[in-house]
Amino acid sequence: MENANFRTQILTRHLQNHAVDSSSGAAVSRAPCLSYAPPEASASFDVSSMRKLMDGHNLGERDWLFNLMAQSKLFNPRLRGGKVFVAPDYNQSMEQQREMTMKRIQYLLDRGVFEGWMTGTGSEAEMRKLALLEVITIFDHSLAIKIGVHFFLWGGAIQFFGTKRHHDKWLRATETYLMKGCFAMTELGHGSNVRGIETITTYDPRTEEFIINTPCESAQKYWIGGAANHATHTVVFSQLNIEGKNEGVHAFITQIRDADGNICPNIRIADCGHKIGLNGVDNGRIWFDNVRIPRENILNSVADVSSDGKYLSAIKDADQRFGAFMAPLTSGRVTIAVSAVYMAKMSLAIAIRYSLTRRAFSITPNGAEVLLLDYPSHQRRLLPLLAKTYAMSFAGNYLKLLYVRRTPQLIKTLHVVSSGLKAALTWHNMRTLQECREACGGQGLKTENRIGQLKAEYDVQSTFEGDNNVLMQQVSKALLAEYVATKRKNKPFKELGLEHMNKPSPTIPSQLSSSIVHSSQFQNDIFCLRERDLLNRFAAEVSKYQAQGESKESAFNASYQLAEDLGRAFTDLAILQTFVEAENSASDASLKNVLSLVRSMYVLVTLDEDPAFLRYGYLTTENAAVVRKEVANLCSEIRPHALALVDSFGIPDAFLSPIAFDWVAANAWSASQD
Amino acid sequence: MASTNGETDQVLVEERSCGRIFILNRPKQLNALSAVMVSRLLELFLSCAEDSSVKFIIVKGKGRAFCAGGDVAAVVYDINRGNWKSGAEYFRKEFTLNYVIATYIKPQVSILNGIVMGGGAGVSVHGRFRIATEKSLFAMPETALGLFPDIGASYFLSRLPGFFGEYVGLTGARLDGAEMLACGLATHFVQSESLPLLEEALVKAATSDPMVISSVIEGFSNAPNLKKNSAYHRLDVINKCFSRRTVEDIIQALERVSADKKDDWISSTIQSLKKASPMSLKISLRSIREGRLQGIGKCLVREFRMVCHVMLGEVSKDFVEGCRAILVDKDRNPKWAPSKLESISDKMVDRYFSKVDDADWEDLKLPVNFRLPAYAIAKL
Repeated sequence: MENANFRTQILTRHLQNHAVDSSSGAAVSRAPCLSYAPPEASASFDVSSMRKLMDGHNLGERDWLFNLMAQSKLFNPRLRGGKVFVAPDYNQSMEQQREMTMKRIQYLLDRGVFEGWMTGTGSEAEMRKLALLEVITIFDHSLAIKIGVHFFLWGGAIQFFGTKRHHDKWLRATETYLMKGCFAMTELGHGSNVRGIETITTYDPRTEEFIINTPCESAQKYWIGGAANHATHTVVFSQLNIEGKNEGVHAFITQIRDADGNICPNIRIADCGHKIGLNGVDNGRIWFDNVRIPRENILNSVADVSSDGKYLSAIKDADQRFGAFMAPLTSGRVTIAVSAVYMAKMSLAIAIRYSLTRRAFSITPNGAEVLLLDYPSHQRRLLPLLAKTYAMSFAGNYLKLLYVRRTPQLIKTLHVVSSGLKAALTWHNMRTLQECREACGGQGLKTENRIGQLKAEYDVQSTFEGDNNVLMQQVSKALLAEYVATKRKNKPFKELGLEHMNKPSPTIPSQLSSSIVHSSQFQNDIFCLRERDLLNRFAAEVSKYQAQGESKESAFNASYQLAEDLGRAFTDLAILQTFVEAENSASDASLKNVLSLVRSMYVLVTLDEDPAFLRYGYLTTENAAVVRKEVANLCSEIRPHALALVDSFGIPDAFLSPIAFDWVAANAWSASQD
Repeated sequence: MASTNGETDQVLVEERSCGRIFILNRPKQLNALSAVMVSRLLELFLSCAEDSSVKFIIVKGKGRAFCAGGDVAAVVYDINRGNWKSGAEYFRKEFTLNYVIATYIKPQVSILNGIVMGGGAGVSVHGRFRIATEKSLFAMPETALGLFPDIGASYFLSRLPGFFGEYVGLTGARLDGAEMLACGLATHFVQSESLPLLEEALVKAATSDPMVISSVIEGFSNAPNLKKNSAYHRLDVINKCFSRRTVEDIIQALERVSADKKDDWISSTIQSLKKASPMSLKISLRSIREGRLQGIGKCLVREFRMVCHVMLGEVSKDFVEGCRAILVDKDRNPKWAPSKLESISDKMVDRYFSKVDDADWEDLKLPVNFRLPAYAIAKL
């Protein structure tokens, strides 16, 4: 009741002030009841060194591209509260968004952003390309996807599935956009299960041509980015039938439009229509009506067809052939995982900056209202997500290095790690976006504040390039295969990070204390324990079902609960290990100190949130209580670093949003009159 | 009613009812900012901020210059005697002054009726109103001196339209009043003959309301025409070339344009880039690019690190050499080292942006002010 009186008093004061202001006319906007105070800036560490550690590489190139976008009208600069913000106009129609996306690509092309994207060689060129794509994604997902389809999917298919004749003809042309490529793999009836696609290709030795055909409606190519409006060429994935025998899935180059944009004969294209997000990408559907293409258009790095129609491949087994064929496509999962982390960074930077300037309720009579981030509950909502985002950012950097340094020996690791991280990082992003949206209250609902819109723009990430659930099952499947093979050979584990299983099972102290839970030894032990135990349980359950006469596949399907827990255990541990490595590489003690707090938060909040630790007894209920209490302690320890931690994300102000800065000025009456 | 006591004569102060007029008063040196002037100005700005009787501030120069820059000759004299730290103190104070001006709560009207270069821009462009005249001459000539555009220039140059800031900052191009207005370095253009009346009108208005001050100035303003061969007409070429990633790429892009069609403006632009210190060009470009993404405070902190490294001369001694060639010996023939852009590695450039490895050295600490107007908050 006293509280209610107090609120009334405050409201009355507001109204009185307002009345005074009104009498002086235009002064209303200049003397708000609440004035904006910028967040206090007291970094305990050097933000630019932390940024270097987080972004990891090509900082100069990144800043250059931010500059290019910030200085062009094409990127829709808008003045809010005295600052300029750039973000796409999502209020444009689908058609307008698609045209703007193409114009932005042309601008970036003219400024030399894509130089070396196809013709460059070596890991340095690849890292540069990845860095620039990350910056593009910070501006707009549609722009990044449209570029990603052209360079990484179409271009990647030419690079990896093609041979010299394709490289000579297409790499340079792709880099300079002499043509626009797309990638026709998914069909209406088949997505994750590429091997089941129904498009059929046959060979005509008389004319030395392949004939591509869409035999039924479920075989129409679906979701093909770029196909609806702009693409001139596509890589088509299709079953290859030679002399009546199905040789499995192969890829072919097919022209679908001429240079003037007219659809080619025997090709039919329809639009996928308006989507919940990503409307700057023209997803289309394609039907092939016995389209004839020259023999050299088969991408023949793995298999070929001779001019007289004989099937030729060095790899006899169709399964292996398929595996070898698809392996290079991990680039998609790498870029998706990393861009998900940047979106989590963006939403946290906005929500945390807002929570350091927005107040709500006083806790003492007549006292000032309290900053949102000074509420322990608000800290608990945002700071653990901040810690996870740090951890996943390091994991993303590790994944990129694994990808650009890939060797045939590392293909399996790359496949498993990229699958697990793609799922974990994109799920984390969606959860973070939702929490940040809510943490910004009503302001989170405004498109100009970005977070809400990002939910729609990035939702697709849990689906494309492999459904997250399917990917996680692949992780567990690969771990199981490794487990079975190693046990059968009776040899030590030496892959997929399972080496810790060669050692005796770690013991967790029966009574945890604050100092124990902060130690990296304990943190590593409990994550290893969880993975090892779940893998043993999973193997046992699958073999139990098999002993009951189930096939391997159905035994695996029936054990899905353990498979899920195991997939998560594997990725959490992988993420922790990359964090520890990044922490060790930090040069400066002040960086190490704050990183160790963040690492502890990452581990402890994982222990707090994943029921597996209690379910399987890695934590006793008493110890779970210790962990939970420590999460709250860590929230208040990280709180003073919150601003510096989000400033270290290296996302320029112009790419955040008005509520991250002076939201009073941005919403002033005078600002609404411009 | 000018105040006179000893060295404070270098800045004259006129008290005009609610206004204060600061007059830079070293006309023989084109009002170049001495250490005394910097200290005095800082003192004046801080005390006027507290003085509720002061509503606005006018800054102008005595003689034919507004201010030709910082007193770099004195700094180089100190460096040559092994005393870079007194130079560091000079810049620390100057950059603090730039910050105070950039975040000042009361309107500042700078009357740029003559030369405005380097440090002169630092005490005017950050303020709210900048009045250009037909006599204005603006330039950031630092790359020809072995320095880089400092005094917070990485903040305001980078915010000019397109990549005009890179052009102005790297080439040291001279702009007249009309060009200053067109690109936004000036907020108004007034014929110099109207200045006395304008001053009177401002004094009479006796207000701190920027809207009122703006409309007073507008009453005396006119719209000048850009000269036919103005660089501002070449914004498309500037955007195309100066948006390039590196200095080498910028020069190459300019050369490509000039190969297509002979063009005096492009040739002289290439010439000024080739005459400038290669190290200065490299660090200037990076500074402007970082500045575009940072607030005014971070820009000044970075520039302070840079200027200390420039004075220390661990990577290059071009600053001393540039001042020798341009200001002391006046042979206009500096011997830059490194002499070529290609021989400068990223690591060498990185050095300028790192903390200075010296026990007594500290990053620039800027004053914290909790009573900032929204337009100043937006610059942070």
